[in-house]
Amino acid sequence: MRTVWATVLSVWLLFAVVAFLAWTRQQPTPARSPQSIPGAVIVKGKNGTTRLVVVSGAGTKAPHATTRTSPVPAG
Amino acid sequence: MIDVVGAGMPVAWLIARAAGLVAFALLTLSVTPGLLMSTKLLTPRRQKALLGWHQTLMWTGLSMLVLHGGAILLDPVMRFGVTAVIVPGTAPWRPITVAAGVVAGYLMLVLAVSFRVRRRIGVRRWRLLHYASFAAFALALGHALHAGTDLKGTTGLVFAAIALAPVLWLTIARILMPHPVRPATTPRATRSAVSQERSDLPREPTPGGALTA
Repeated sequence: MRTVWATVLSVWLLFAVVAFLAWTRQQPTPARSPQSIPGAVIVKGKNGTTRLVVVSGAGTKAPHATTRTSPVPAG
Repeated sequence: MIDVVGAGMPVAWLIARAAGLVAFALLTLSVTPGLLMSTKLLTPRRQKALLGWHQTLMWTGLSMLVLHGGAILLDPVMRFGVTAVIVPGTAPWRPITVAAGVVAGYLMLVLAVSFRVRRRIGVRRWRLLHYASFAAFALALGHALHAGTDLKGTTGLVFAAIALAPVLWLTIARILMPHPVRPATTPRATRSAVSQERSDLPREPTPGGALTA
């Protein structure tokens, strides 16, 4: 019974900490400036295919530590 | 080829951080009753109840530690391999403090397993092994403060103070508290009594009459 209680409480504590971390990650919400209106960019691939990529506030959004981008291939 | 990263939450990263924090909290909560038992401030009945919680919290903390390592493995940004999580000093990011966390985890595992083999290795060795809990706690605290991304500045100091205060206070109390007077009996009985007095466990009479843990 003790093990069950410890497990249940630990899992709830884990959920609470995850929720707190997720909440603090979103705060503070920056006010949307006129320049940060979402836009679309047409990207041409190597094999001739085209793709529409939605960009939210291109150039105005601060880079985040968890954002990972790959370099654009030359040509 | 463009690598588009989703705008959603980095779930693995959040779980890794949360599981690490919960694992450290459980380690602290496990060390505290262990020290409380060794100070002999409680009655044997309460010591026995605390012993159960001491072990349970240690195993629960270990399970959170496994979740911590597993979530880091799944995080696409950190790029930690299995070797980096298991072998100390092989992490690509802050290898020394990550190694401190890995070693602390191994010490926790050894201490948790030592309860199962206590009768086999003997109370004296088991007690000596238990001094490793101080090292595990210190290494885990160092890992949390330096490798952790959530405990910087004032938050880290407050966190360290909350975790350290009961452990430090009970350690000092344990050092300063007078040891119980040993009864003057036969050498064999004295040895048994001394080993029992040094044990963190409540007394259990054996069929032979000697007190063993």
